[in-house]
Amino acid sequence: MSGHSYAGRTAIAGIGATDFSSDSGRSELRLALEACVAALDDAGLPASRVSGLVTFTMDGNPESDLMRGLGISELTSFSRIHFGGGAPCATVQQAALAVEAGVADYVLCYRAFNERSGRRFGSGVGDRPTGTTTEQASFAWTSPYGLLTPASWVAMFATRMMHEHGVTTEDFGRVAVACRRHAATNPLARFHERPITLADHQASRWIVEPLRLLDCCQETDGGQAILVTTLERARDLRRPPAVIEAAAQGMADDQQMMRSFFRESLVGLPEAATCARQLWETSGLGPDDIAAAVLYDHFTPFVLTQLEEFGFCGRGEAADFIRDGAIELGGRLPVNPHGGQLGEAYLHGMNGVAEGVRQVRGSAVNQVPGADHVLVTGGTGVPTSALVLGRDS
Amino acid sequence: MPTAADTTITPAEDGSGAVTPTSQHEEEQAPAPVQAPESAGLAERLRAEVGARAPRRVARHPVNEAMIAHWCDAIGDANPAYTDAAYAATTVHGGLVAPPAMLDVWDRHGLLERREADDPRARVIATLEQAGFVSVVAVNAELEIHRYLRPGDLLGNVQTLTDVSAEKRTALGVGHFVTSRHRFTDQAGEHVGDLQFRILKFRPGSGQRPPAAANPNSANPSGGSSVTTRRGPSGPSGPPDPDPARRPRPAINRDNQFFWDGTRARELRIQRCDGCGALFSPPTARCWHCGGFELGWIVASGRGRLYSHAVVHHPPAPGFRYPLPVGLVELAEGTRVVADLVGCPPAGLRVGMPVELTWVETHPALVDGASDERGPITLPAFRPAPPPRRTDTLTAPEAAAAIQRSGASEASEGPEGSEAELALWSVPVTATLIVSGAIATRDFQPVHHDRELAARRGSADIFLNINTSVGLLQRYVSDTLGPDLLVRAIRVRLGAPAYPGDHLVFTGRLTAADAQTGRVTVAVRAAGGLGDHLVGTVEVVLPGGREHDETRAAAARAATARAVTAPQARS
Repeated sequence: MSGHSYAGRTAIAGIGATDFSSDSGRSELRLALEACVAALDDAGLPASRVSGLVTFTMDGNPESDLMRGLGISELTSFSRIHFGGGAPCATVQQAALAVEAGVADYVLCYRAFNERSGRRFGSGVGDRPTGTTTEQASFAWTSPYGLLTPASWVAMFATRMMHEHGVTTEDFGRVAVACRRHAATNPLARFHERPITLADHQASRWIVEPLRLLDCCQETDGGQAILVTTLERARDLRRPPAVIEAAAQGMADDQQMMRSFFRESLVGLPEAATCARQLWETSGLGPDDIAAAVLYDHFTPFVLTQLEEFGFCGRGEAADFIRDGAIELGGRLPVNPHGGQLGEAYLHGMNGVAEGVRQVRGSAVNQVPGADHVLVTGGTGVPTSALVLGRDS
Repeated sequence: MPTAADTTITPAEDGSGAVTPTSQHEEEQAPAPVQAPESAGLAERLRAEVGARAPRRVARHPVNEAMIAHWCDAIGDANPAYTDAAYAATTVHGGLVAPPAMLDVWDRHGLLERREADDPRARVIATLEQAGFVSVVAVNAELEIHRYLRPGDLLGNVQTLTDVSAEKRTALGVGHFVTSRHRFTDQAGEHVGDLQFRILKFRPGSGQRPPAAANPNSANPSGGSSVTTRRGPSGPSGPPDPDPARRPRPAINRDNQFFWDGTRARELRIQRCDGCGALFSPPTARCWHCGGFELGWIVASGRGRLYSHAVVHHPPAPGFRYPLPVGLVELAEGTRVVADLVGCPPAGLRVGMPVELTWVETHPALVDGASDERGPITLPAFRPAPPPRRTDTLTAPEAAAAIQRSGASEASEGPEGSEAELALWSVPVTATLIVSGAIATRDFQPVHHDRELAARRGSADIFLNINTSVGLLQRYVSDTLGPDLLVRAIRVRLGAPAYPGDHLVFTGRLTAADAQTGRVTVAVRAAGGLGDHLVGTVEVVLPGGREHDETRAAAARAATARAVTAPQARS
C-alpha cells in the first residue's frame, strides 16, 4: 500500500441528481443546485455543514453561485479539475484530500449542464475563438484540418486499434449493445426501454469513420452531485458509506487533450494505466476483486482499451473478452450496469460515480450481486482519474 | 463546355477520337434550342447514313520517336519499351513500339487543318444540330489493339458510321446516340486496330439536373480544388459553406510561429533542438531531452506513411467538404502530423500507405470574421504517393492465382484490400498535364489549353481531353502490372470532366485471367472531384501465356524480315 492517506478513511455519503433529459427547461445553475440539494437530502445533512466545493474547470457554475444558492455562509475549500471528462473521480479525490487534511468537513462535488439543449459538445470546437494561449494553440494541429469533435479525435485511435488488434466495428458495437441493454431496465436512463441490437449498431450512420452514431454517447441536460466526508462522519449519516478505497489521477506519455496522436503507441491509454497502478497499489486489490466496473464510455472503442489497461484482460484481448457477453449483467465483469453514458446519460462521468455508490450500497436498479468493490473511471484520451469504491466493513 | 459550334470542329467530329466531355452535372451554355419536332423525315435521314464510310484518311507523318517521346513526357509514362531501344529489344515487342493508347493520335489533324466535309458522322451531326440536338457528350470509347505500331509505320483509318439510335430520353436530355467505328491499317494494309466511339447529341435543357450536382466533391474530396468550390448561401437548412476560408484559423503564438511561417513558404517544418537535435511534433518550448531552450527547425522531406485516419461525416462545419478524410501521417523524419488527405476516396485509405505532401491555400488573405491579422494561411495536406513503377511484369498464372485467392477471401475482405486490387494512383490534375496531354495527343481544341476561351464557352476551366485520360489509364495498368505486357483493348465509359486542381484517383482490380492464353481483364475506374471520370476495362496479355509467346515470335520474325528487306531497299 502506498501512502494515499485518505484511502479507506474517506467516503461518499450522499449522491443526488436531476432528471436526465434532452431539454431540462431550467438554468444550469438550477440543475447544479437541485443536484446538490438531492445529495444532501440523500445523506440527511443540512447545507450549512458543507465547507468545500469541487467541480470541473469546464463547469459553468462558479462555486460562489453554488454557495449563495445553497445558503452556505462560508467555504474553506474550493478547487476545480481540468480536462473535461477526465475529472469526475478526481473531484472526489480532491474532496477526500480536503476532508482527510481537515481543511473541510463535508465537500460537495458537482457537475451540471444543459449540454444537449444548450451548447452541444459534439458540435465541436470549430467556433472557438482563435487566441494565443498554449491551450488554444494546441488546436492548431487539428482544427484547421477538420478534426473538430471528440468523435473525430477518438476515431483516429479507433482506426489504429482496428489495424493493430484486428478489432472490428462490431466489437465496438458490442459495448453499445451492453450499455443499452442495461439502460433499458433503468427508469432514470435516457434510453430506458430502448435496447439495441448489433444489427442496429451496424446500420447506424457514420459520424466519423470508423465510429457510427451508436458508438457515441448522447449529450444530456442534467446535474449530478456527490457528497464526500470522512468515513467516520459518513457513518453517522443516513446512508451506508461508500468507502473511497483508492482514488487516482493520471497523465502520461506525451499527453495531449484527447489528441495524443504523437505518442509512440495509439492502442493504449497510458494515463489510465497510471491510474490503475495507483488504485491497485493503494487498495491492495486487483482486477479479480472487482465485481462491477463503471468505465467511461463517451465512445465505445476506449471501453475496450480500459479493460486492458485496468488488467481485466491482456493487451489486444478486449474484443475477445467482451465477445461472450462478459461485460453484460450476469457476465464475468458487468460494465456500466446503469447503462453508462451511452445509455443512462452523458454527464461527464459524474453519474458513473453515483452508480458506483449505488452498487456498493446494494441499491442499484441493476444490482450486481456481491459488489464489495467497484471500479469507476473518468474520461478516456484525456488526463484522467479513477476510483475504487467499497462497502464499509 | 463546348458550344454547338465547337462540336463541328472537334477532333472527334473529324473522326480521330476525342469529343470534349461535357460534365453531366454542368450542362453547357448552349444557344436556345431550335424547336424542330422530330419527323419521320429526320429518322429516315439519320438511318440512311448508317453504314456509310468516309474515305481512308492517312497520317501526315509516320509513327516516330519524337512524338512518342512527347507523349511519354506528357503522360509521365516511363515504360522503356517506348523510348529505350536496347530495353525494347528484350520485350515481347522485340523493339521500340508506340504506346497503344496513341492509336488514334497519328492520323489526327494538326492545329491548322479542318476536317473533310464528306464524313458521314459529320453529316449526321449537322442534321441533328439543325433539329435542335446541339449539345454533345462523349459516352464511350473502345480501343482495340491488334498490333503495336512501330516507328516508321504509316497509319490510316476508315471511318464508318455504325449506328444512330432512335430518339432516347436520358438524364442529360432527349437525344440520339451516334456511334462510329474507325478501322486503322498500316502502309501494308494490315489491320492494326479499331476505335469505336459513341457520343450523345442531345437537346439542351431537356433532361433532369441530377441532384448530385449540388455536391460536386462527394466521390473524391480533393480539398485544394479551387474550381469545385461553390460559394453558395449557407442557410440553416443547407450544408454549411464549404469555402476553405471558413475553416478555423490556427491559433498562432510564439511557440508555433515557425511552423506557420513555414507553410506560407510551402515548407513543412519540424521543430528541432539546437542543442541535441531532437525533433518535436507538436513543438515544445523546451527540449525535454537536453533541457535546452534554443529550438530551431528542419524542413520535412514531405514523404511519409499514413499512420491512422478518420473520415469525418458529421457534424458538418463551415470550410470543409464531407465526407472528409483526415490523416495522421508519420513523416519519414519520424514525427507525426495531422493533415487532410486529398485525392483519395475514403474507401482507398489504408494504414501504412505511402503519402506525399501537397498544399492547400485555405485562407488566401484576410478573411471576414477572422479574429487575428496574421495574413494568409496555407495548410499542408497529403495525397497517396504514386505507386512505384513495376519493373518486372506480373505473369498470367500469378494473376490467375491472385484472383482465385482474393475471391476466396472476398467474404472476409479486410481493410488492407485484396490481392487482386491494383495499388491506388492519385494523379493531380494540373494545367500543365491538361495542356501537354492535349498537345501530345494532337488535340488542339481551345477548351484543353486556353482558359479564357474555355470560360467563354461556359466551362469552369480547361479540362483533360479523352486521349490524355486514356493515356493515363494505359500508364496506370502498365505501371502496376509491369512493362512487358500487351494491351489488347481499352474500353471506357466517360463521365465527369477533370479540371485543374482536381485529382483523378485510379483504382483497378484483376477480374479475369486465363493462364493458358495469358489474357487478363482489369476493371478500372478514375474518379475525380465531380464523380467518375471514366469507368471501364483494360484487356491485357501477360507473360506466361500462349499469346505473349506468339507475339514475341511474330515480332522476331518481323524483325528478321525487316533486316533482310532494309538493305535491298537501299541498293
